[in-house]
Amino acid sequence: MTHKAKYNLALLIFTVPTLLFFTVIVIIPILQTFQKSFFDWDGLSPATFIGLDNYTRLLDDDTFWVSLKNGLIFAFVLVVYQIGIGTLLAIALSSKGLKAHKFFRTSYFVPVVLSGVVVSQLWIAIYNADGGLINSVFAMLGFNYEQAWLSGEHTSIWAIAFSAAWHNLGIQFVLIYTAIKSIPEHLYEAAKIDGAPFWKMHWKITIPLLSETYKFCLIIAITGGLNAFQNMYVMTNGGPGNISFTLTFMMYKAAFRSGEYGYGSAAAAILVIECLLFTILINRFLAREKITY
Amino acid sequence: MLKRLTSRALVYGPLSFFVLISLYPLIWLLFYSFKNNEEIFSTNVFGIPKNWRFENYNNAFGAFDLLAYFKNSLIVSIGTVVFTCILALMFSYAAARMRWRFANASRIYMTVGMFIPMQIILIPLLIMERTMHLQNSYLAVIVPYVAFQLSFATIIFYAFFRSLPYEIEESAAIDGASVYTIFFRIMVPLVKPAIASVSIFVFLFSWNEFLIALIMISDNALKTLPLGLLYFQTQFGSDWGAMGAVMVISTVPTILVYLLFSEQIEKALSVSSAVKG
Repeated sequence: MTHKAKYNLALLIFTVPTLLFFTVIVIIPILQTFQKSFFDWDGLSPATFIGLDNYTRLLDDDTFWVSLKNGLIFAFVLVVYQIGIGTLLAIALSSKGLKAHKFFRTSYFVPVVLSGVVVSQLWIAIYNADGGLINSVFAMLGFNYEQAWLSGEHTSIWAIAFSAAWHNLGIQFVLIYTAIKSIPEHLYEAAKIDGAPFWKMHWKITIPLLSETYKFCLIIAITGGLNAFQNMYVMTNGGPGNISFTLTFMMYKAAFRSGEYGYGSAAAAILVIECLLFTILINRFLAREKITY
Repeated sequence: MLKRLTSRALVYGPLSFFVLISLYPLIWLLFYSFKNNEEIFSTNVFGIPKNWRFENYNNAFGAFDLLAYFKNSLIVSIGTVVFTCILALMFSYAAARMRWRFANASRIYMTVGMFIPMQIILIPLLIMERTMHLQNSYLAVIVPYVAFQLSFATIIFYAFFRSLPYEIEESAAIDGASVYTIFFRIMVPLVKPAIASVSIFVFLFSWNEFLIALIMISDNALKTLPLGLLYFQTQFGSDWGAMGAVMVISTVPTILVYLLFSEQIEKALSVSSAVKG
């Protein structure tokens, strides 16, 4: 064999298995989901083409709008708690002369290593209406604010989302913290000489320098929120009624509980479009150029 | 001096408050795994158990086949890590270091999985696995896990392979080394930090994945840990103490692993975000 032929053979061995595997398991199923969203299909018998019927049915379905809204609320809670609080904690922890760095970092990160199902089960107990941890705290403080968090119409999705935000605060915190640590000290010197207040200095210098990190953090938080499933599956099973549904939950119910594969595919297709839309928006509005020091 | 003290308090106060929020639920869980229902929800909500009910752990071990679930999760997670790394390393090397026309296009093609939620393939995947009789096997979950983690893994490996100087391969090729020798003996060892980072992420992902496992595995003997926990909840949901004991037992190993490897895990996280930015 010539050198050239050997090289090409190696190239095929290196690339074809991966490309083929990825195409068969990821790309073709994605296309099939979009295709099947135009069909009436029970997963077993041949599918019938029904055009946009699944989509018009979604628009008329109250559960769809609840799911859409819940996905946005979920994403909002993750962004505010994980990125908002995560940033404040990271800035505070990176201030000089602070003791017990390691202790704080480890504490924020420990919940991350828990299994998602354990977290959901733990928070079921915390939110328990009769003597759960939160209601007990309110009772102890003398507030008359006890309620059934997970089954309340206005509290359910917020409560579920908060438990998820609590679970993965550590990931975003570590990402932001390491990014802050890599900002060179001299960038702050001028601000310090001018006597700029601590928070103002960080607002003007640190936050803008983190835009690349924020891009990544926002994408994980927002798509994570829109995709939520396991939390409500374990904590409320989507209920009571449909108040804690998300689009993934809707797809799951339609396809795997009612055997409406076409309708489930339409819900999944909307979810993908929504995620892509947010990813594009985030990429557009946060600085694209790489920052070098 | 006073100003300094208050500013310290302003930093330590909130930091400690969020330590409390992050850790107290876990301590509370540890306490309630030794209590009975009455203590958990009315007589002794916050504190240390008055008498330690070790029988909760006995009941949990009796009814919850932890070892089997652990074994299943380990097989699935390690299998996913190994296959993901092998496939992604080979492809990324070819895309980053070899000369062919579609190198860049195919690299971008492979990143699709990063921007698409995994749920979208679930319905066709179920049909596919049903026709191939793949349901209720380890491969039923390993195959989709690997396929979706490939995107993330190739992004990281590609960036690492790109950052290596070209002289390494040139001098090896002059010495007569084949492509395979260069790849396995020289290039793969050079990207070890990236392999560690990818492995940790892929492992955590497959250890915790829920939805695909839920759909593909119904045989109790093959269930992974998240499914096992759910099964226990439906069986013993009203015995909160025993439920707590199961949750503690299944969590302790992962917390220990984290405390042992916390530096590496944090490093792995920052490596991957830096690459993706």
